Amino acid sequence: MRSRINFYIIEYAINSLLAQKYKTIFMVIILSSLIFLLSSLFFIKNSIKYELDVTLDSLPQIIVQNIKAGRHYDIDIEAIDEILNINGVEGAVARVWGYYYFENAGVNFTLMGIDEYEEGYKESLKKVAKELDFSSSSMIVGEGVRDVLNKSYYKEYFNFIKPNGELKKVEIGGVFSADSLLESNDVIVMSRDTLREIFDMEQNRATDIVVRVANADEISTVAAKIKLKYPSFRVITNNDLRVSYQNIFDYKSGLFLSLFIISIFTFFIIVYDKASGLSSEQKREIGVLRAIGWRVDDILKERFYEAFIVSIFSFLAGTIFAFAFVYTFNAPLISNIFSGYSKLKTTFDLAFVFDMQTLALIFFLSVPIYISAIIIPSWKSATLDVDEVIR
Amino acid sequence: MIELRDIVKEYFTSSGEIVKALSNINIAIKEGELVVLRGASGSGKSTILSLIASLCKPTSGEVIVNGERVSKLLDNFASDFRRDTLGFVFQKFNLLPNLSVKENVILPLVPLNLDAKEVEKSVLRVLEMFHIEHKANQPVKNLSGGEQQRVAIARANINNPKIILADEPTANLDEELSLHFIEMLKELKGQGKTIVVATHDPIFFDLKIVDRVITLHQGMLL
Repeated sequence: MRSRINFYIIEYAINSLLAQKYKTIFMVIILSSLIFLLSSLFFIKNSIKYELDVTLDSLPQIIVQNIKAGRHYDIDIEAIDEILNINGVEGAVARVWGYYYFENAGVNFTLMGIDEYEEGYKESLKKVAKELDFSSSSMIVGEGVRDVLNKSYYKEYFNFIKPNGELKKVEIGGVFSADSLLESNDVIVMSRDTLREIFDMEQNRATDIVVRVANADEISTVAAKIKLKYPSFRVITNNDLRVSYQNIFDYKSGLFLSLFIISIFTFFIIVYDKASGLSSEQKREIGVLRAIGWRVDDILKERFYEAFIVSIFSFLAGTIFAFAFVYTFNAPLISNIFSGYSKLKTTFDLAFVFDMQTLALIFFLSVPIYISAIIIPSWKSATLDVDEVIR
Repeated sequence: MIELRDIVKEYFTSSGEIVKALSNINIAIKEGELVVLRGASGSGKSTILSLIASLCKPTSGEVIVNGERVSKLLDNFASDFRRDTLGFVFQKFNLLPNLSVKENVILPLVPLNLDAKEVEKSVLRVLEMFHIEHKANQPVKNLSGGEQQRVAIARANINNPKIILADEPTANLDEELSLHFIEMLKELKGQGKTIVVATHDPIFFDLKIVDRVITLHQGMLL
């Protein structure tokens, strides 16, 4: 009979929690808040890491830039032919791109130029090339850009201000979304000719050259050869960019780590407080139960149920709220720490990443530790001389 | 029924000194007897009840209840013994104030995991027996002292024990409620229960229902 689940003990545990409802509610709020904070940090970190990985995967293997007086200048596209002659180079594409500051909204757009027949250096741009009307001044914009333009009543076209002060009207031909919002949110894609006109760039010039290497292991060798041929050029490999991005991510992660440590530290203070002893009232209750015939294991079961109910409820509440906070409301305040490197002030949706390992980690950091913190002092009290406890 | 043989009980104070609570105690109580332990505060009355209930262990000597050496029982077996054999009415009632009357009374049956109907029947029986059924769902903390004592007695009787131990049962009651408690004792004695009351309240000493008064002084029998 004793091997069955004893629902009376569960009922007692629930009644006991309800009898001290303010204390229970307070503990649930504190625990839920800590789990919420912890979960939010993990969810945002996972999401940003996912964005970062997608961005890094789409980076060109080698970027060649022209440097003058230590600054980045337009590059002569004739260099492409020379680069293509280097052994191991599979392809080289001149890129025309840059930033455009939209003063009304106070945001920067990233402008990218593509050619209809030229091989694209990025899969996402190949898709856009099919949608873009190259016969007229037209552009495809990212979702964030569309939202910003819409707010300024630019629903069908936008007037770019050229360096000489003249306006260049470009029709909005469509909206695109890439795998990563970090990659696409602030981007405008148009024909290279249109973009050269906006930037006042000559036809034989480009912003930089992107080089594709047949064997990925030879990227650094090819980069060295280009550098040898053009000492004034800056040659950046995808590994250099990866390190640079990773540094930014690690720096941001450091800030998150601080928040993580604070929340864990607070949790352990609560746990330590719980584990360091029971109040005289709690000790007396255990003594009374022992005096009227409860075994030590009956008391431990009851304490387990109490702690389990509180901690599992807090865990569920904390993680569900964190899910909603991060993935529905985009983690206001704390996500800015990470997404700050995008200058665009448009909405930035964190990618939904469901990671069981993260949930398991949060569970094991909270529920079993809290239960132990409740059970250990109860066990200490339950094994004392009953007479000593209730007198 | 209950036998205390050569009992010595010593306590250690917080300063490490040894205090002798009981010295060379020999008591035998027959089944169905109502025995009063009389003595001033600190005379060792409550310690004797605790030893009978196996709430503490003697320093030396033996406590035998129903032929079982309860002074040698391990913790969990001592719990089983208390649950199955005796009911304890504590001086301060030792009820759980935030729980209702019914929830308090049911407590000794909780670990048994009995059938719900059986539990309900037992609860109703004791609540009616001690005239507290109308307060069944009220939190104990809202009850008067007399009502709380009836709850404590109901709880001590829920498992229909053969032995009832009462420690200073009238210490927190006025005269009228004390007389009412004595009426309840009569009823329990009438049911054939063995009852041991530790008290210094003179109201018990000349009662007809009391079979024997044992006097203690500074841990020794007089």
